[in-house]
Amino acid sequence: MKNFKLKHFINYAIVSALLIFGVVMFLTGNLRPSTAQLFAQMGYGIILAVSLNLVVGFLGELSLGHAGFMCVGAYIGGLFAVVLKQSGLDMKLPVLIISMLVGGLFAALFGFIIGLPSLRLKGDYLAIVTLAFGEIVRNIFMNQKVFGGAKGLTTGTLIYDTRKSPTLFIVVFIVAILMLILVQNLVKSKHGRAITAIRDNEIAAKAMGINVTFYKLFVFVVAAFFAGCAGVIYAHTTTPVLYSFFSYNYSIEILVMVVLGGMGSITGSIISAVFITAMNFVLQSQLSGDLASLKNVVYAVILIIVVVFGNAPALKSFRERYNISAFFERFRKQDASKRRDDEAKWARVPSKIKMDALLSTDMAPDSDESIHGDIGADNDKGGNK
Amino acid sequence: MITLIDGLSLGSIYALIALGYTMVYGIAKMLNFAHGDVIMVGAYAIVITLSYTASPAVAIIAAVILCTILGVAIEKIAYKPLRGASPLAVLITAIGVSYFLQGIAQLVFGSQPRPVSAVWRQLPKIPLLNDLGITTAAAVTLVCGVIIMVALNLFIKCTKTGRAMLAVSEDRGAAVLMGINVNRIITVTFAIGSALAAFAGMFYLFQIPNAEPTLGAMPGITAFTAAVIGGIGSIPGAMVGGILLGVVEKLCLASPLSSYTVAIKFSLLIVILLVKPTGLLGKITREKV
Amino acid sequence: MKKILALVLVAVMMLATFASCGESAATNYAANNTEYFIGGTGPLTGDASSYGISVQNGAKLAVEKINANGGLNGVNFKFDIKDDQATADKASSAYDQLFEAGMQISFGSVTSGSCEAFAAKAANDNLFFMTPSASAEICIAESNAFRVCFGDPDQGVLAAEELVANFQNIGAIYDESDTYSSGIFEAFDAKMKELNATYTVKTFNAENKLDFSTQVEALKDCDVIFLPIYYTEAGLIAKVAVAKGCDAVLFGCDGFDGIAGQIDETVTNQIKYITPFDVNSTDANVAEFVAAYETAYGVKPDQFAADGYDVVMAIYEAMKAAGVNDVTIDPDTLCEKVKAAITADSFVFTGVTGTMTWDLSGAATKEPVIIELNK
Repeated sequence: MKNFKLKHFINYAIVSALLIFGVVMFLTGNLRPSTAQLFAQMGYGIILAVSLNLVVGFLGELSLGHAGFMCVGAYIGGLFAVVLKQSGLDMKLPVLIISMLVGGLFAALFGFIIGLPSLRLKGDYLAIVTLAFGEIVRNIFMNQKVFGGAKGLTTGTLIYDTRKSPTLFIVVFIVAILMLILVQNLVKSKHGRAITAIRDNEIAAKAMGINVTFYKLFVFVVAAFFAGCAGVIYAHTTTPVLYSFFSYNYSIEILVMVVLGGMGSITGSIISAVFITAMNFVLQSQLSGDLASLKNVVYAVILIIVVVFGNAPALKSFRERYNISAFFERFRKQDASKRRDDEAKWARVPSKIKMDALLSTDMAPDSDESIHGDIGADNDKGGNK
Repeated sequence: MITLIDGLSLGSIYALIALGYTMVYGIAKMLNFAHGDVIMVGAYAIVITLSYTASPAVAIIAAVILCTILGVAIEKIAYKPLRGASPLAVLITAIGVSYFLQGIAQLVFGSQPRPVSAVWRQLPKIPLLNDLGITTAAAVTLVCGVIIMVALNLFIKCTKTGRAMLAVSEDRGAAVLMGINVNRIITVTFAIGSALAAFAGMFYLFQIPNAEPTLGAMPGITAFTAAVIGGIGSIPGAMVGGILLGVVEKLCLASPLSSYTVAIKFSLLIVILLVKPTGLLGKITREKV
Repeated sequence: MKKILALVLVAVMMLATFASCGESAATNYAANNTEYFIGGTGPLTGDASSYGISVQNGAKLAVEKINANGGLNGVNFKFDIKDDQATADKASSAYDQLFEAGMQISFGSVTSGSCEAFAAKAANDNLFFMTPSASAEICIAESNAFRVCFGDPDQGVLAAEELVANFQNIGAIYDESDTYSSGIFEAFDAKMKELNATYTVKTFNAENKLDFSTQVEALKDCDVIFLPIYYTEAGLIAKVAVAKGCDAVLFGCDGFDGIAGQIDETVTNQIKYITPFDVNSTDANVAEFVAAYETAYGVKPDQFAADGYDVVMAIYEAMKAAGVNDVTIDPDTLCEKVKAAITADSFVFTGVTGTMTWDLSGAATKEPVIIELNK
């Protein structure tokens, strides 16, 4: 009980709450098919955002090709599932799970391939390479006859009848929870600290004996695996799987989720993935015709405001005074003496050398606290290299 | 042969756009992702002006002025507050601006492509070239593209502002100490880059006589790739990269591998970056702690 | 505490897994309808928006006419079209929205790609739909799916016969990333081989559908270029042809409808296309439709408007023939009734795009005409 911190479980709680909400709605017969579809979209949105956050928020490399990994998963996993179905395995759940593994593994393989140049390139150069990668993948799949060529892969037999069974979104949320367990434990572990160390200062990390090559590849592979899983899920919701869906616009939409949620904050990614998917859904049904592009304008404005507010040097003091954690701090009922104790402990830690605080647990008064700070702090840290 | 000329003319469009990317990168150290959409605005400006007047000259001037103002406005509103912030933040803001411009264009003009008026396409015939199969549009694009690039080079080498730009891109801190107004230089850079984008939009309309909200996306990314291939920040690099990509694209389209054009274009980028991580003509910067 | 939470998590997953095995009965979302609800999707924005808007206009006109004449046994019809921008995933989610809003019968989607997604969903619910213009075969693969337009193969075969009979040097450009375009082309190609005719073919795809100079360059010397594509790209090709000094006849299919808005007086190439609808026809039925359309929208109807009009009329006639008299009828029941009525030998529908009959395959049988757009 002593070490219990709500924030370590808040992520599971959010996803489970969505899952339970959906199941209850289904059991009481109130679940509309479009809502079930929305749940599935939220589920793979969460998977995509959290996995991209690993690359962008924790490793600190900008990836503009996340939809490319999803594309690999959707095509290969989708085709695999279709073939399984044709070969007589007519059980939806096993087909979904097996194809998800296959799609994920292939995406991971591509993640490995794209991770290789990341060892030589960084920053803007890496960003353009990932963007190029996404476009190449799309273009190659478009030209393969096996995958239906430019007409897309017909996955009609895989589509879940959301009116009769909620299996799809349940599986999606369970996958999301499993991913969260893995990612959270990874981030909290010594490997996670090594990854954030690379983000904060690569040369210093190298000097500390961190195997930069290994960790960079590792992060790319893990992120690609989950993006691939999300792709397979997508293939189970839409027919045909079409290359045009995975354009860099979609990669950017995932990036927007990560940025809005706060780079390096898993909770933030989950909330913004849910929020953006829901908003997409509402706007899509409300706006028709050319008004639909109002959605893009709204996103763009939100994105610009959030980034400018979060990063402008001129607004630094303002930000420190009015960030989310300060906001919550006011509501927190805490023993005043204990708080002062805490502060006194922290005062002993020199604030200049953040790097060391990240790497050595000994320096911090409370090992859990020191690694991650809070959402607001991470938000600020995210962009720094 | 004709494919080669077509490629060169497409390449000079890419080069013009790539110059915008590379100048901004060299001086402001940021990737202006919204640059492609400035081209789109330029193209729309021409299409709309031509629906009121019949004079292409007026349309071109209107496009150049509008794009210049737009470029400066984007810089002041979206990028200036972020000066000194992390490159990632600036890049994401630029992506936001790009989305914003596309969305606004669709709201205002609709997503249906707008054909440019016939006046635009009634170019005079050039007897000798047309007989060879080279279209007037391709010839005009190529010649004007070269003229603009030469003029830009002269501007940078021979005028005070141009040399100040070079100085800022070389070492911003030292430039400030020498009394150069860096903010003004950055604004000038954006203005020039956007004016070039307007010209690119104009040549683009020669090739494809329709304006649509997503028009800038693909040429934008390709030109961006061209700038990176040439070594981002390097002006001759952008020209080389742009022309290289234009020729490669046209050759691919004419070959049996035409459906793999996009893949080939971008693979070229990856291969070049793996061999020379800073591009063909890029400077190698040593990493410092 | 951690253990407890882990247990809770496991319990949630178990519960969810059990729940996922359950099946619930289908709800009839039409239970509260006071009007028969015809729904569907089409591109109201984007490159193909001319089609969607035309279908919307034509179908609205038909609904207004039906309602003005007292509807079906005194019950009016309601019509709704959602924008899918000619993309599959938008059509798919629009389907759910329409279905939950009580859609009972549908005109599917306007374009082939969207209609494929729409059809996959409609098959699950056994919802009757009759598409005005999605000509790909996969769209009507299921038994609940019908169409009023020609099939892609029919047009390809017809084009091949027409071109071989009238021209020597034949070229073709098609969009290999488009279901409609490649569907026509495959049939065209097969027929050309059968006729022992040679021709040159060039392709493009969704990634490079703006710049056609390479393709036109290669086909410059042809007498005719066959273009089984949509009007936006066809307009661009016509302009490139002018710039390149190519004076071939441009021969298209029903997708050419709308090309008049894309070209101007500089385009001198002769343009011909296959269409089931002739706006200048002297047929009384057609003349009445054209006049009503012009009064309502201020422009002459194109083929898509006519298709949209016919679809609604045909659905209405079929429902009348089936003796439907329950406004809250669920889509499944309605589908079986309408299907039986429409495939009956006695059911012959005369619309503005010709006289048609249907069989279980869902395809309409009718006669095409070829239109010349003379400049």
